[in-house]
Amino acid sequence: MLKLFKKSKDKIPKSEIITEPKEPKTPPVSKCGKPLQLDNCRWERRLHKELMSLIKEPPPGVTVDTESVQQNLSEWKINIKGFEGTLYEGEDFQLLFKFNNKYPFDSPEVTFIGSNIPVHPHVYSNGHICLSILTEDWSPALSVQSVCLSIASMLSSCREKKRPPDNTLYVKTCNKNPKKTKWWYHDDSV
Amino acid sequence: MESFQQNDGNRDELIIQQQREIEKEIIDTTPLVSEQLPLTCLWAEYNGDEVFTAKIQDLSKKYKFIRRTRPDGNCFFRAFAYSYLEYLISNNSAYQEFRKLAEESKDKLVQLGFPSFTLEDFHETFMEVIKRVSPDEAGGHDKVQSELHKIFNEQGYSDYVVVYLRLITSGKLQEEADFYQNFIEGDFTIEEFRHQEVEPMYKESDHIHIIALCTALGAGVRVEYLDRGEGGTVKAHDFPEGTEPRIYLIYRPGHYDILYPN
Repeated sequence: MLKLFKKSKDKIPKSEIITEPKEPKTPPVSKCGKPLQLDNCRWERRLHKELMSLIKEPPPGVTVDTESVQQNLSEWKINIKGFEGTLYEGEDFQLLFKFNNKYPFDSPEVTFIGSNIPVHPHVYSNGHICLSILTEDWSPALSVQSVCLSIASMLSSCREKKRPPDNTLYVKTCNKNPKKTKWWYHDDSV
Repeated sequence: MESFQQNDGNRDELIIQQQREIEKEIIDTTPLVSEQLPLTCLWAEYNGDEVFTAKIQDLSKKYKFIRRTRPDGNCFFRAFAYSYLEYLISNNSAYQEFRKLAEESKDKLVQLGFPSFTLEDFHETFMEVIKRVSPDEAGGHDKVQSELHKIFNEQGYSDYVVVYLRLITSGKLQEEADFYQNFIEGDFTIEEFRHQEVEPMYKESDHIHIIALCTALGAGVRVEYLDRGEGGTVKAHDFPEGTEPRIYLIYRPGHYDILYPN
């Protein structure tokens, strides 16, 4: 099915949040103070919870790089293995998840990073992934784990290793953030 | 699959930026849920248009007030929740029944296969909201009513409620997939429809969402349809059919607001 991207929410890059003036403008208040600051701590709480679960019960072939997370809760590196019996058997890939303080209402920004970017019709050579749950079909009930599972299943069902047809042009012209691309989701049977 | 970049690398960003500006303007000008306004305030929007003027006149025989919701694609869910809780505040036995049903709804969704892990947060907040508007709260009806209004205009709470209602709706569609499949046009399976049109935020609601949610929560809704259609009167639909409505909404193409009967 052909779908047009309808809406996308504003993304505040985490770096902007970090580089805000350091000196407190007002006397520091509890971050989780009710009611207006509710959002501020919730996204962190939710990420902590997801992290614990991913470390304790990771889906097959998925491991979190805990060191990366310890440095910065809003950027996770996740290793993912190509499953046996698929075209990616024996290959190791790495995903970078970036979250902002509107998570889980805003989807995470997810890209492949590192030296081995899977050759797949939905994955650009710069690591950008065309997957509807990462933008238009994201729901706050999804999680890092469910995104990993979708990506693993996208890789597993691939029948021919090739790049997207418009790879060269896209990689040359796109924004660094894949969420700034208006994706056309074509048939997902690949 | 391909990205749509053929002509201009910045084009996507410009479109997205423009959408964002529109969204920001909506956020700046419209609260999530407004105060009660006289129904006749709608006249101003139609600039003397005869068809609409007559229909609003007709509608004003039955309804005195309207409460607007922000047009962000979540309006049905937000209006539904606000209006139903408003009804429950003054109906203690119905409130207690609903609270029990809401409490149990999480286990039901988990049984249906929703991950309890992400569900928990939304359910917790949903229950917290319900508890905060209990008719038994000290301070009486007016205080609880103003608490409700405050909660629904705090994005953190308001959106959590919307998410949870979306999940309940999705759960109902799954539970009775054979029945709801008949409402779906095109090649969508129920599964795809739930994931693409129900669970994500900002996706607009159709009849199928309304029927599923009302059925799941046992709450009757009457929707008054204000459009350019023939006849000087506004047509109403009850969901589920034959149920006494507790929630009154006005639908104008693409948007739901709350109504108050005389």
